[in-house]
Parts: sequence; C-alpha cells; structure tokens
Amino acid sequence: MNYSELTRRYFESPANVGELSGPGVFRGAAGNREAGTWVQFDLRCESGTLQAARFLAFACPHTIAASAWLAEQSVGRAVTRTLPESVQELRDRFDVPVEKMGRLLIIEDAWLAAAVPAIDYRG
Amino acid sequence: MTPTSTPVYLDHASTTPVDSRVAASMAEVLNSETEFGNPASASHDYGDVAHALVEQARCQVAAAVGAAPAEVVWTSGATEANNLSLFGVAQYYRERGRHIVTSRTEHKAVLDPCRELERRGWQVTYLVPDREGLLDPDQVAAALRQDTVLVSIMHVNNEIGVVQNIGAFGAICARHGAWLHVDAAQSLGKCPIDFAGLGVDLMSLSAHKVYGPKGVGALAVARRKDGSRSARVQLAPLLFGGGQEQGLRAGTLATHQVVGMGLAFELAASISSTETVRIVQLQRRLWQGLAAIGGVLRNGSAAHSVPHLLNVSFEGVEGESLLAAIRPHLAVSTGSACTSALAEPSYVLRALGRSERLSESSLRFGLGRTTTEKDIDTAIAVLSREVQRLRGIAGVQSVRASAAVPAT
Repeated sequence: MNYSELTRRYFESPANVGELSGPGVFRGAAGNREAGTWVQFDLRCESGTLQAARFLAFACPHTIAASAWLAEQSVGRAVTRTLPESVQELRDRFDVPVEKMGRLLIIEDAWLAAAVPAIDYRG
Repeated sequence: MTPTSTPVYLDHASTTPVDSRVAASMAEVLNSETEFGNPASASHDYGDVAHALVEQARCQVAAAVGAAPAEVVWTSGATEANNLSLFGVAQYYRERGRHIVTSRTEHKAVLDPCRELERRGWQVTYLVPDREGLLDPDQVAAALRQDTVLVSIMHVNNEIGVVQNIGAFGAICARHGAWLHVDAAQSLGKCPIDFAGLGVDLMSLSAHKVYGPKGVGALAVARRKDGSRSARVQLAPLLFGGGQEQGLRAGTLATHQVVGMGLAFELAASISSTETVRIVQLQRRLWQGLAAIGGVLRNGSAAHSVPHLLNVSFEGVEGESLLAAIRPHLAVSTGSACTSALAEPSYVLRALGRSERLSESSLRFGLGRTTTEKDIDTAIAVLSREVQRLRGIAGVQSVRASAAVPAT
C-alpha cells in the first residue's frame, strides 16, 4: 500500500506517544488488539482547555498517523463533544482508503471517551 | 525514514534474479539469425535448429528432476502446469470418479482450480496439516475414496518452506489407483527432487524460482511403467491448436524461454554443498537474531523445512504497520494478502492454527544466492528497531521470550 507523505511522516515519527497520569487526566480507549485496531488517548484538561495529550495505538499506519496528529494538534484547544477535526476531514487529510473508515471511527470513540468527561472538569 | 539505499532483497521464494549465464543464453537465441525458427517446423533447417535447442533444454530439465526427457511438457509456468494437472485429470477421468484430495496449505494455483472444479460438480477434500505444517501419510490414505482420481500435494510449501513426505504419498496413491500431482515450484536447488523415485505422476516446475526467466515452466508427466501402476496417467489438454507437446499443450514454443529454463535447471541441480551450507548458516543467523528481539514465533516445522525460507510472526505488532515500517529497508513477503486496502491474513498460517493477528504480523524471508551475511544483519537490525518502536506505540509492555514453537 502507498501512503501519503503526511501519513508516512506521522507514522514514522509520531509525537505524543505514551500515557499521562495525575490530576486532570482523562483516559479513553476503543477497539481491541485482537480485532486488529486499538487506540487510547490520555487528555490532561484544565478549565475546558486541553493542556496535554498522549496516545497509544495498535493499528495500521493511517490510524497511527491520524491519532498522532490529533494528539499533537489539539493541545491548547477547547475540549468539546466532537473530534478536533471530523472523521471526514481526517480521512481527506491522511488519504485514508474508504475501507478503513471504521478505524477512524475507533479513533473518534477513543477520543470522545476521554474528552466528554473532561469538558466540565475545573481542577 | 528515507531509505539510504536499495532495500535488501530477501524474497527469493517469490522470484529470483535471472542468472547472467541464463540471460546470455536467451539473448543468444533472440539475437541469432539461425535460431529464430519455429521448433515445430520440420520442413527446413531453421526449424531443426530451434527444435534441437528445445530438446536440449528438455534434457536439462529432465535430468535436474530425475525424469525422462519425453516426460517434460513445456508450459507458461507452474500455475499452468497445476491447472493442466487438475483440470486435465478431472476431465479425462470424469467418468471414473469426481473426487480430488488436496491440502489447505497448497498454493492458490492449486486451490483455485479445485474451487472451480467444485463449482463444476467435483468433490474436493482439503486435508488440514498439523501445527508444524506437515501432513501425515495416514491422512492421505484415509481421505482416499473409491471415486478419488487425483491427490495434489505440494513438495515444498511456498510460505513456510515445509517439505512434505511425497514418497509416502506416492506409494499410497499407487496402491489405491489415484494419480499423484506435486507442485514442486519451490523445490529445485533447495532439496533433492526425484520424479521417478518418489512415485509422482505429475510434477509442476517453474523457471523463475531458480534464477531462470519468468513465463516458462513445465509439467513432468510420468511415462514410466514400473510395475506399481497398472496404467500411465492421461490428461485432457487445456489448449487446442497445433498438437505441440504431445497434444497436451498447443502453441508455438518460446525457444529462448525454454533454453533459459534448461540452463537454469542445469545450474540449480549442480548447486554445490558449500552453497547449501552457506544458506543453512545464514538462516540460522537470521533466526537467532530475530529470536533475540523477543516475542517472535517461528512458523512451520524447523526440522522438516528447506533452509531457504524462514517464516516468523511478531507478537504485539500490527501486520500492516510492520510491513510499512520495514518496506524502505527490506524486500520480504508479508503474511497477509493485500488484495484490497484491508489485508487478509495468510490462509496457510491460519491452517496451522495461528491467530489472525499473528498470521498478519508474519514475514517470510526467502534466502538465495545473492544473500549475504550483511543482508541478514541489516534485516535483524531493521526488525529489532521497528518491532520495538511499534510495540512502544501499541503500548505493549513486554512479550514472552521467543521460541521455535508451533502455534498454540
């Protein structure tokens, strides 16, 4: 399979890999490794703003790249009930084949599982 | 990561580079002003010259596999030889019986014709090998029925390198009266082939697996009368047209192709024991290096496989990411068939009992004449780095020690 330059860059050198701990950290995960795709986000929030984000992913290059990009780009933004960028926008940005749309939904599920409880957190 | 050089080629089980001597022999035919004739033209010297070249190549191929020259039928490759065997026997003996025995780990060029025969009304029994990829002769014996006309079992498996006990199958088939077809595309140069001695009736051969050209192969069709058989195998042809190749494969022969295959087979059959020892040592070096990464499982029987292939699964790594990570550096085959954007796990490894994930995260290393110790060390270094990187991204903390164990 061929990957776009952006996908390859975020797959080969993903920032924000890992986990967070401590007060204000919310964790969300979706999918499972046995089924082939698993994504986890740790989000540190304060007064409705994302202070830090980390991710882990047992997944294909597209999923790793999109997860890494979200974890990197979302810091400093307000935490909302939606992905920082929609599934369709992520698909276009990383040139994700239509057969892999389900994997982007796993990213969305993992992100929202962490983000939604964090919205009203005030430390 | 940008590749700093050409990826290391470790996919010799897929295909091999053409030997320069083979290429030269083919070029000579193509450039010659006297060797371009139609080998079937008996009315002038041009035809006779080409015919002599074809027959010389036929002798070379026959000698390499323990067959008689008259038993060698040229085809476009092993896929056509497999198709000719399966459809040819099925069609010719359709009134005698419509049952075929094969295995779950055969090449697609056998399985797909079997599926097509099922659609046309034949019945096929797919034997399941043990967890090391081996078939027990008793399984073959137990699967034979009154209406079984053909058993098709490969010699060396193309994914895991496991060598089947063909001699035992030959004796069973001869006693029962079923014909035995063997796909031996992966065998020559890797382990001994004795077409007559193994009691095989039909054997598929390929040139490009042994440093010969693509687009040419052969089917060895037994013509011996050794007392173990009451008759000789007959085939209905797939192609009709000119009666070439004893009426089994119509079409003007590609002289340069068969000349290349002849020489490639002669060279492969005369491979030195030092080269075999070299490959054994390289494979051992590769396995030890990969095993040291941890969480690496060897697929297929180590005791009953050719040293030219090594198939391993990596625990805690997603298959597509593994391939994408190593692709700039290594040319190897993956355990998944990328027929679409979503990979299908290897049906061979699934048949051995490997999970979908471990089947997808498997790699096949094919070692050959061009493989060096440096290539092996590069492969180990790249995999060690990338497997650990991907496990880190996947949050896989630890994996158990590697072992040459079968699937669990």
